[in-house]
Amino acid sequence: MIGFLHPWVLAGLVATAIPILLHLLARREPPTVVFPAVRYLVTTTREHQRRLKLQNWLLLAVRTLLVATLVIAAAGPTVPLTGVPGHAPSALVLIIDNSPSSGAVVGGTPQLGQLVAAARRVLSRATPDDALWLVTADGIPRRGDRASLGELLNDLRVSPRRLELGAAIALAGDVLAPESRPGEIVMLTDLQASALSPSSFSVPLLIGRPAAPPPANVGIGALETGTQPWSSDGGRVSVTLVGDSGESVPVSARLGERPARQALGQVGSAVTVNLPGVPSAWWTLTAELDPDEFRLDDRRVAAVRVARVARVRWDSTSRFIAAACEVLATNRRIQPGQEITMGHLAPGTSVVQPPDDPAELGALNRALAARGVEWSYGSLSTELAFSDSGAVVGRQRVTRRYRLQSTASGRTGVLASVKGTPWIARSGNVVLLGSRLDPAWTDLPVSAGFMPFMDVLLNRLARGEAALEQGAPGEPVPLPDQVTEVRQGEREWRVEGGGLFQPPDPGVYYLRTGRDTVGAISVNPDSRESRLARATDGQARQLWKGARLVPLDEAGDAAFSLASRGDLRGPLLWMALLVGMVEVGLASAWRRRS
Amino acid sequence: MYSTDGPSGRARLDLLDPLEVSKLGGLELITQGVVEGFLSGLHRSPRRGFSVEFAEHRMYQAGDELRYVDWKILGRNDRLYVKQFEEETNLRGMVVFDTSRSMAWTGSPSTVLPKLEYAQRLIAALSLVLIRQRDATGLITFDDDVRSVTPPRARLSHWRQLLGTLAGSQAGRGTAAEPALRRVVGQLRRRGLVVFVSDLLLDRELVLKALRFLRHRGHQVLVLHIMDPAEVTLGGQNEARFEDPETRSAVVLRPRDWARAYRNTVRAVVSEWRLACRRHGIAYHRVTTDTPFGVVLRKALAPPSRSA
Repeated sequence: MIGFLHPWVLAGLVATAIPILLHLLARREPPTVVFPAVRYLVTTTREHQRRLKLQNWLLLAVRTLLVATLVIAAAGPTVPLTGVPGHAPSALVLIIDNSPSSGAVVGGTPQLGQLVAAARRVLSRATPDDALWLVTADGIPRRGDRASLGELLNDLRVSPRRLELGAAIALAGDVLAPESRPGEIVMLTDLQASALSPSSFSVPLLIGRPAAPPPANVGIGALETGTQPWSSDGGRVSVTLVGDSGESVPVSARLGERPARQALGQVGSAVTVNLPGVPSAWWTLTAELDPDEFRLDDRRVAAVRVARVARVRWDSTSRFIAAACEVLATNRRIQPGQEITMGHLAPGTSVVQPPDDPAELGALNRALAARGVEWSYGSLSTELAFSDSGAVVGRQRVTRRYRLQSTASGRTGVLASVKGTPWIARSGNVVLLGSRLDPAWTDLPVSAGFMPFMDVLLNRLARGEAALEQGAPGEPVPLPDQVTEVRQGEREWRVEGGGLFQPPDPGVYYLRTGRDTVGAISVNPDSRESRLARATDGQARQLWKGARLVPLDEAGDAAFSLASRGDLRGPLLWMALLVGMVEVGLASAWRRRS
Repeated sequence: MYSTDGPSGRARLDLLDPLEVSKLGGLELITQGVVEGFLSGLHRSPRRGFSVEFAEHRMYQAGDELRYVDWKILGRNDRLYVKQFEEETNLRGMVVFDTSRSMAWTGSPSTVLPKLEYAQRLIAALSLVLIRQRDATGLITFDDDVRSVTPPRARLSHWRQLLGTLAGSQAGRGTAAEPALRRVVGQLRRRGLVVFVSDLLLDRELVLKALRFLRHRGHQVLVLHIMDPAEVTLGGQNEARFEDPETRSAVVLRPRDWARAYRNTVRAVVSEWRLACRRHGIAYHRVTTDTPFGVVLRKALAPPSRSA
């Protein structure tokens, strides 16, 4: 069946009416000329009239054919090439879904192996005239020829990064947009239902998906360590199981290389495991399941900070601070002591809130400066504002605040901000609060997040420890200002505080300032990858209109479907040239004869 | 090339462009000028008749007057011959003039006379030549019917009467030559000269039949086929509807596509006329309206060839 690369050009076929219109216009009543010897003209034309009429119709047909041929050629007609090897030059983006789910073992081999084999079959049909790109879960389109992309396939591994299939299709469409050659997207995927997302595309989309059903799977979807730091008495972890298996599976959890504790869990439920006390330090918590067909989600890690709780001296005149500290002390999250002074500036670590009386502000700023603190209190703002959402404090209403001013060249140490201006900042062993912890200044003391905030403030922030972040492989994670180095095992990355860090693999990444560890990023695969259930062809077609789905084995033959069609533009242009020459020849010959 | 200088050194009007000549004055004046130029070297009637100067013998034919039988030859050879003499004044000529609507046409009014006007001047000159030779000359004009009949006379005043008839002849409607040619019979009792002036856009067979009849009556017949140059060569680029002024029949064509074929057709038509006339002893001359009058007179009044 004839197809067209640019079917809209066919609208130009109306131009074939031009010769006919010209013919009809030429048939309009011409001017009358008086001529006595009409009988001679009659005699002359009588013999030639039939031939002339035939010539005119033939010329009309030739000219119409010429216009039609040019228009159809411009529309890029193609026909299937049956039994003819090769195809017209085309541009093809090959998407291989090497997301974590492709590591599932099906039929004794990893799913990725089947995808790569199908990809090789697709590439084997490519010609040197084709433009080829390879897109994998890292989202980087790589252009190359058949050989170079084959090399990339050799090195292709299961990526810890998740691949949104809709985003990948959109990316492929963007890659093909500037191409003049006929484009095509071939996506080889396990068609994981959770990876489907809407996308629009203007080129043919071929999807190769496995014929065999995915294996039943159980994985660790979440690993929660509760409030940190842990005391030396140990802690409790919660392991959430996800997947599509109804079996009960044993779950083990351990800190570092300490003996693991086990519990039995089921998909959809959380298993709590109590871990014994360990010495104060940063620990890597590992939760594991027995191996199954999908190994990547059988293990999950988290960072655990084990330390003595903060010993705090608080100002009992500040009602909300005093109440919060007493609750924390009751729950053994802090102890009364001299390590940290909460509420005002004192020798040692201090959490400072602004004075109620503005007259005392000058003395406080001078004292801060004398301590070498790089922040001071600026002007008072009574404008209603909200704190910017962050890990330390959520979105809180702020009615009164002092603007924190940095006396240093940079503005490192900002822990929270309001409308982009620093609201909580740390310098050395002093934490400055822009507002008093009082409902007359902010709603924070009466919000649900006040107690966790106080816990984090006293046990971590005042001690110079940054937040514990969660992340996924390849996903950028914002780094705290003071971080200068990221370390995972033997690997180290020099970083700039305040920037972004992309952890390449699952694991615990420790954030360091100089020789001090100030935080950690726990990186684990996206838990959605654990649900291996495959989308149906109908679901895929509904989401991606016009997509063609074939088993992986058939993807190689089905690829280049558009380019496997013979391009008729060349023959048509030659035909147009021939028709044009015939027209010129006929017209001039007949003119000479007449 | 024709020399346009006469013996007196003045320009000979008979050899000038007909349109230019027509601008010099009225019909009588320019006709006299043309004839003066033409006759500058001709003083005798080229026609043979029965006069006092012996010319030649010919075989006796039934009806010949016995007084012209050469008895001496009869006595010597026992054959009947009659004597022929140079004739000076006794030729009777009749001009049959086609004044149909097609004759009023010219393809280029600025450079070429209409056929009718050209023919008027040509006939006027021809009749003056004949009358100066004391040949009686008459005129019949016709279009779709006979319009005027002027009997042949040899007086100069008669020529002025002919001029009046010619000047008053207007282009009519259609063409019906046969009745006019048959009217000649009543005007020429003796054998004489019949000059048929027409563009021949008429029924050829009927006309040829009438001419053959005249020829059969012993008259010399001369056909002057008047054609406009634009009728000989089809000009123009763009398509046009060509309409016959008499019949209103029309043909739509692009001249540039048909010029060659048309030229061949005209050539064939002229050839057919010439052959048909020659076959019956009729003199035929194709005359285009840009031909100087003197040239045409020279052709028309030249002694008839045996083949003509």
